[in-house]
Amino acid sequence: MFRLARNRLSTAAVLGAAIFMIIQVFCDLQLPTITSDMINRGVAIGNTAYIWRSGSLMLLLAFIGVLAAAGNVFFASTQAQQLGAKLRAELFRKVLYFGNFEMDHLGSSSLITRTTNDVLQIQNVTVMILRMMIQAPIMLVGAGIMAFISERKLTVVFLVSIPVLMIAIVSIMYFAVPLFKSLQKRIDGINLVFREGLTGVRVIRAFRQDHFEQERFKNVNRAYTQTAVKAFSLVSLMFPVMILILNMTNIGIIWIGGKLIATSRMEVGNLVSFMTYAAMILFSFMMLSMIFVFIPRAQAAAVRINEVLDTDFSITEIADPEKLPVQKSHTLEFKKVAFRYDHAENQALQDVNFHLRSGQTLAILGGTGSGKSTLVNLLPRLYDLETGQILLDGKEIAKCSQRDLRNAISFVQQKAVLFKGTVRSNLQVGKVTATDQEMWHALEIAQAKDFVKETQKGLDAVVEQNGANFSGGQKQRLAIARALIKPAAVYVFDDSFSALDFKTDAQLRQAMKTDPQTQKSIVIIVAQRIATVTQADQILVLDAGRVVGLGTHQQLKAGNQTYQEIMRSQLREEEL
Amino acid sequence: MPQHGPARNIGKTVDKPKNFWQTAWRLCKYMAPWKWFLALVFIFAIGSVIFQIISPKVLGEATTEIFNGVVKYQRLQPAKRTGALPIDFDKIKVILLTVGGMYLVSALLGFFQQLIMANISQKIVFKLRADLKDKMQRLPINYYDTHSNGDIMSRAVNDMDNIAGTLQQSLTQMVTSIVTFVGVLIMMFTISWQLTLIACITVPLGILVVALIAPRSQKYFAKQQQSLGLLNDQVEENFAGHTVVKTFNKEEESLEKFNEQNELYYKSSWKAQFISGLIMPVMNFVKNLGYVFVAVVGGIKVAHGNLSLGDVQAFLQYVNQFTQPITQIANIANTIQATVASAERIFQVLDEEEMQKTHVAIPDKAETEYKIEFEDAAFGYDSKQPVLKNLNLAVTTGEKIAIVGPTGAGKTTLVNLLERFYDIQGGTLRLAGRDTRNLSREAVRSHFAMVLQDTWLFTGTIYDNIKYGRETAREKEVLQAAKAAHADSFIRQLPQGYQTILNEEASNISQGQRQLLTIARAFLADPEILILDEATSSVDTRTEILIQKAMAKLLKGRTSFIVAHRLSTIRDADKIIVMNHGAIIEAGNHAALLAKKGFYADLYNSQFTTSA
Repeated sequence: MFRLARNRLSTAAVLGAAIFMIIQVFCDLQLPTITSDMINRGVAIGNTAYIWRSGSLMLLLAFIGVLAAAGNVFFASTQAQQLGAKLRAELFRKVLYFGNFEMDHLGSSSLITRTTNDVLQIQNVTVMILRMMIQAPIMLVGAGIMAFISERKLTVVFLVSIPVLMIAIVSIMYFAVPLFKSLQKRIDGINLVFREGLTGVRVIRAFRQDHFEQERFKNVNRAYTQTAVKAFSLVSLMFPVMILILNMTNIGIIWIGGKLIATSRMEVGNLVSFMTYAAMILFSFMMLSMIFVFIPRAQAAAVRINEVLDTDFSITEIADPEKLPVQKSHTLEFKKVAFRYDHAENQALQDVNFHLRSGQTLAILGGTGSGKSTLVNLLPRLYDLETGQILLDGKEIAKCSQRDLRNAISFVQQKAVLFKGTVRSNLQVGKVTATDQEMWHALEIAQAKDFVKETQKGLDAVVEQNGANFSGGQKQRLAIARALIKPAAVYVFDDSFSALDFKTDAQLRQAMKTDPQTQKSIVIIVAQRIATVTQADQILVLDAGRVVGLGTHQQLKAGNQTYQEIMRSQLREEEL
Repeated sequence: MPQHGPARNIGKTVDKPKNFWQTAWRLCKYMAPWKWFLALVFIFAIGSVIFQIISPKVLGEATTEIFNGVVKYQRLQPAKRTGALPIDFDKIKVILLTVGGMYLVSALLGFFQQLIMANISQKIVFKLRADLKDKMQRLPINYYDTHSNGDIMSRAVNDMDNIAGTLQQSLTQMVTSIVTFVGVLIMMFTISWQLTLIACITVPLGILVVALIAPRSQKYFAKQQQSLGLLNDQVEENFAGHTVVKTFNKEEESLEKFNEQNELYYKSSWKAQFISGLIMPVMNFVKNLGYVFVAVVGGIKVAHGNLSLGDVQAFLQYVNQFTQPITQIANIANTIQATVASAERIFQVLDEEEMQKTHVAIPDKAETEYKIEFEDAAFGYDSKQPVLKNLNLAVTTGEKIAIVGPTGAGKTTLVNLLERFYDIQGGTLRLAGRDTRNLSREAVRSHFAMVLQDTWLFTGTIYDNIKYGRETAREKEVLQAAKAAHADSFIRQLPQGYQTILNEEASNISQGQRQLLTIARAFLADPEILILDEATSSVDTRTEILIQKAMAKLLKGRTSFIVAHRLSTIRDADKIIVMNHGAIIEAGNHAALLAKKGFYADLYNSQFTTSA
């Protein structure tokens, strides 16, 4: 938490917040003293002028106090929000430049939470710190000093009341904190069962298990309620107990104070001011105890944020990267490529070799977990190799600038991701300068022209967040169009056709084959369906990270066991 | 911890309920069973506050006693000023004991009031939650399909939370605030009406402060909320689309957009926080203003002998208590409004139309060879767009029906009708001769089991998940079902075997293994009719083979409807139903459909145009 704040908060501003707070507390502290002065020197001897003078002074101090408080609030809110904005921007930048290694490790949904909720959490706690946490100790010390100065002998009451207060707070917390922790678990339980009731409604009804579901929910609901009653009952103690202690302290002050006054060891006006200081001291203790509740929560958020900021980039650029030459025809070569996921026991890919040139199509086939996606992810350097080389146009990709490399590769993921905006803005991601004509052409090849036309706005049709207004297949086709519009040396389709039905899949591949742009380039298709791959120039068959076959459909069909197995699982005997 | 600053959400924007009083009244009805306890709570709260209010005045008497002693002493001849001051400690002792008792009683009342309220509020929310869950059971599937899970969850979680919090705190706070305000006012009047008038200047001032600051801060909070939403959208979009951003070299562009939004957020957020943060100190200033005037005027009065010092001391304490209720009431009013809006959202669900018992005047067919028979069936999700028109399909016992069509063609519609998740709107759908609408939904479903691609399993043990297929099943039968589904061997390899708890993210077993469990579940249900959804992808080859074997075994001897992706399944089917754009466009067997040279023929042939 403090490490996060150290370099990102302006020291001057924090000092400013502290100074204003000191002024504010100072003013607050003066009021009782002036009151007691007023009583001792004004009221007791009937000096009206003195009373007026102290009154004006008090007013002035109150006014300075509110100005100082405003100053403190200003610094606290700007600093806290600035810290939030800085953290958010840093996290966002860091994550954008992460490789897939880091993304896998931290998980994108967790990263979203860290960048949004965790930062908010820090922001809120920072405001509290800059106000309460500065205020509590200053007030504690200030009121302590003032109390001590005004009546040293009366401070004995604190010898009793502060320990009692501490014991009360600590013992309530001791029981309450674990209860609240288990309460959190219980509420998670309620959420879980309720959510499962939503996601599984069809299964629940189909198996006529409504009753069981209700029973399940009743149990978690009851468990939560029981814990909640316990926890909140305990908390009910907190406030009355604290007030009681404060009030009893006042009684003590009057009793002891009376005795002191009786023996002329104290002035009567100090009694009133001392009670105010006592209230302030006990109040600061309560504030401090609240802080101990909030800090651990913020601490957890801070740890999660730091973890992201401290993560090293797995993919780095060499000092003096080579330029990829601009050329008309291209080659791509994998040489003894091997890859291993972080700390994995087995290699995810081993000894992958192939060579492709412009106009050729490579299809990659294999079951889940066989390494197909991993293989294509190596190409735009989403991961780095363990050993071996990948050469694009004869240059080793690890030695090229990442920007150049990714400019040369157009990549479609398994799961289509569209951005909020319009069809046009999404296609512009592929090529900023694309003309309408180029866009329609790309949509046509991607078999997306018809449904884009059907929306009355055509290219300006709205794309909602996550492309929610399009079906899975439509999203995938738009993503394919976005990739096709980008002029690239290599087009990679990472299982992008599975979301399409047979017919669309076939039409798309046909259209790509006749397109002059893709004809000049290298095309890599990762697929699950045999039908998708049969026409490729080369088919690479993967099994558990190993290349078990490389050849054409005819060759593999004749002599490759894994290929035959996959064929058998998808087609009937007579179709083989 | 639940104690929040009194100005916590004065300036924030809250959702406004559409029908405040009606909803509030309905929420009150939930409290009816505890009305006597509630009455007790309010009595306790009022009692606690009254004691709290009276005690400063009584305590002030002690101070006055001391002061009197001092004054008496000073009036004595200096020569006689020896020894202790003439303070009446017996009297003080009585006063202090009285006050101590009052404090104790006040604290006890306060404690019991909160204790009872915590109990009641949790129980009310318990009931509300149970009602909501109960309601979910009686809602038609249509409701689930037309409302996002996120929306329903937020009602079940956030809105419930709001209600619990408000019941527990704000309600009694409201009462105590009002009582405090009135009580303090009365006490002040009993001490000195002049001083009271002076103190009262602070009331309009305080209201003015709230009235001036709150709308401004609301404006910025609204802006802040809006830009935070947009900012979070950007984070989500870019992180989820990380690979796209990277492979298209769009990092800098995204960053630029993000920084712009971040700056906008900052601009409104610090202002929102600053302005709402001002409320407390400014109210404090108003309070101090009153305090100073009271101190000065009171001091002068004491000096003139019109007032006792103890009264001034008590009065000053009252001034401190006086402005707090104003801020608190403003705050609570906002909270209550938000709570009623929450309640409204929950009641909205509770008021949704439930599934009705249905009956149609379609006579049963006494003897029929058909297990399932659609006759001129018509259906549409909304009345304007019919999905099915004049569907005729007769399925005899043991027949295998394949449902094919492109993605999003509405293959689930058929599943929906068969399982009676939705009812047909025209014609008839007969199950063994009876129109399904003349059977209870449970009765219809008892004939079916389904295995879907979306492998829903609940968080619990593997054993319980399989047993889900038939509650009355014995252990032996559960194990048999697992074996039949080829799931037994992988289950036994897990460290906890059948007692392995499946977690929500399903990270402890693979997708294919989950599929096997759903098959085992269907085996146990042992239905006459089976609905199957063939897996399209994401299963490794070996598990895939197991799944196919298990499914084939499950199908044997049963009437079945299969959402088919594999050509072999389609060709083996007795009948094929072809769907497109949400409607059944063709039905028949493979040969007949091919001969028709329609959509099916097209679909089928496209498979081979490139793979020949």
